[in-house]
Amino acid sequence: MAYARANMFYERESWRKPLALSLGFHALLGLCILLVGFMLTPNGSSKWGEDQGSAITIQMVSGAPIPIPKPEVQTDNIVANPSEAVTQAPPQPKATETEDGVTIPGQVIKPKIDNVVKKANVQPHPIPTPTTAVPYGEGPPPTGPYGAFTAPNTKGGFSFQNASFAGKYGWYLDVVRRKVQQNWLGYEIDPHINAPHRAYIDFDILGDGSIANVQLVQSSGIPTLDQSAMRALQRVDTFGRLPEGNKLSVEFWFEYPPR
Amino acid sequence: MVKIKWTVKALLLTATACCASAANAFQGKPILVINPSQDRPRLAVPDFKAGTTDPQTGPLNTVFNQTLWNDLDNAGIFDMVAKSFYPLLTPGQPAEIKEAAWGNPPPNAGLLAFGNLGANSGKVDVQGWLFDVKNAGAPPILGKQYREDATPDKAREIAHRFADEIISRLGAGVPGIAESKIFFISTRTGSKEVWSMDYDGANQQQLTHLGSVALSPRISPDRSRLVFSGLTKDSWQIMMYSLELGRLVAFPRSGGDNISPAWSSDGSRVAFASSRGQGGTEIYLADSSGGGSRRLTTGHINVSPVFNPKTNGQIAFVSGQSGLPQLYTMDADGSNVQRITDQGYAVSPSWSPNGLLLAFSWIRNYGPGVVGGADIYLMDIASRQIVQLTHDSGRNDFPSWSPDGRHIVFQSTRGGTEQIWSVLADGTHLQQLTREGRNTQPNWSYQ
Repeated sequence: MAYARANMFYERESWRKPLALSLGFHALLGLCILLVGFMLTPNGSSKWGEDQGSAITIQMVSGAPIPIPKPEVQTDNIVANPSEAVTQAPPQPKATETEDGVTIPGQVIKPKIDNVVKKANVQPHPIPTPTTAVPYGEGPPPTGPYGAFTAPNTKGGFSFQNASFAGKYGWYLDVVRRKVQQNWLGYEIDPHINAPHRAYIDFDILGDGSIANVQLVQSSGIPTLDQSAMRALQRVDTFGRLPEGNKLSVEFWFEYPPR
Repeated sequence: MVKIKWTVKALLLTATACCASAANAFQGKPILVINPSQDRPRLAVPDFKAGTTDPQTGPLNTVFNQTLWNDLDNAGIFDMVAKSFYPLLTPGQPAEIKEAAWGNPPPNAGLLAFGNLGANSGKVDVQGWLFDVKNAGAPPILGKQYREDATPDKAREIAHRFADEIISRLGAGVPGIAESKIFFISTRTGSKEVWSMDYDGANQQQLTHLGSVALSPRISPDRSRLVFSGLTKDSWQIMMYSLELGRLVAFPRSGGDNISPAWSSDGSRVAFASSRGQGGTEIYLADSSGGGSRRLTTGHINVSPVFNPKTNGQIAFVSGQSGLPQLYTMDADGSNVQRITDQGYAVSPSWSPNGLLLAFSWIRNYGPGVVGGADIYLMDIASRQIVQLTHDSGRNDFPSWSPDGRHIVFQSTRGGTEQIWSVLADGTHLQQLTREGRNTQPNWSYQ
């Protein structure tokens, strides 16, 4: 008995067998759970919500027939103007009555200056309307290549006051412009000019196309530019017979360097 | 009275040209700008319509249309609208014209030349018009009617005349060159004779029948007489050929060799080189019948005089006084001699009709083993700026200006043998004019 007791207290209990059994049963249990799971779901994969068959309807909360509590929104209420919390806004100026009426509050009133010239002495300055002027919007649109021209490194345009000649003989104006342009030799001009300068030259084209009365109307301030412009016209023998009339006065601008 | 205002701005290109020094001009950069305007009017030229059902109409119309197109294309002042852009319906009468169809893209033409041609009982009638299609309602720029014998030559002539009318109107009074002639030397008969042809190479005809050698043909400004140097039994002599009489007329002969004649543009004087006196070959000036000759230069070999046709107050010539031939200018009385080329081998000066440019043949770097042959160059006399016109293609020599100052005819070996070619003064539109035999020394008529 004592031996048995002694065995009972001093003999080491063997844990291996129950531990192995426990592990085996736990493993079996886990396996069973997995097997059951696989057997219950077809094709071994589950598709969540697939078998439900009907859509979920979501209703707007606000549309609910019963009042629901509003969500708490954090508002940043300001108790006082942080910048002007101490001082008050300046008071609006009160409307005052003057001899012209009631002033608008806040309006700056300029000091009134008496007219030096009395109205009776002021002469009217009407801008004379040219006899050939076309009222705005009533003239025909500028057609063809005669109104303006652009070429490599060249840009310009011209205007004319007699629209009837240009309307009928635009090709002739084109010829004149091209011939002057060809006879204007840029190398005659001082190359050190930076800002654009313009020389104005007037001349007449006579009936046989020859050129007469070439004169510098306004100098560009650059002698070489003036001279090159004059020479450009002096080199021209003829522009070809005028298609109409026996005299055509022309004003040319020569601008260098091109803007 | 009409008042017009314009503005023109300088070309940057020419501005940069003036920055370049004269030394730069000789570095091979073409800084002289010939005809800088690029905005040429766009011209549409549909084929003329058949006016009659005569069987001759078709072939004549083909010749006419081909000639007219080539003349206008060669003029160098138009941007020709390609025929593939044309509307399907082309006008034959002013009533049939639809300005919008021509003035808007795709043709986008500014000008329209059209008309009709019809042969009828041995005669051909041509009606032609020129319209400004950008400006509908404007009167026609030109309306012409022609009636000639129904032959291809006459059809070509009518086309030349109509083309010249158009070019004259739109070329600022400068007449067209479609009716001008080119005189040249050809070996196709076995000896060197003077021939003539139309400006486009058509209609080549032999003029002289010397049976020896003719050189340097120069047509008189009124196109009535031709002066050239011909080889006689013992020397070279200046000879005068009348185109009106069709034979040689009297011109005084002298001792020594007399070569390279030239007309003044008023037809009153002839300059030539002669070795009649003591010393070398000198330049002499005589009246148009050969009388009153007097010497202008002294002491050296001076040949190839050419008058400034604008003033007749200046003569350019070739001189060997510094070794290799170089170009010089002098006043028409022999004073104020100036050398204008400074290197190489420069010969064959030809003065442009407006007197501004000199065309010449130049071997810029002359010597053994040096690359580069004789090429045609243009020089602006006032600024001495130079531009090279031909490049890397055979020997090019004997340039001659067209009367409109837009074309140059010259002799070149670029095709193998010496033939005559023409080119626009900006270097475009190069075309060969002769193909048979050897053809040299072209000279373009004054009108």
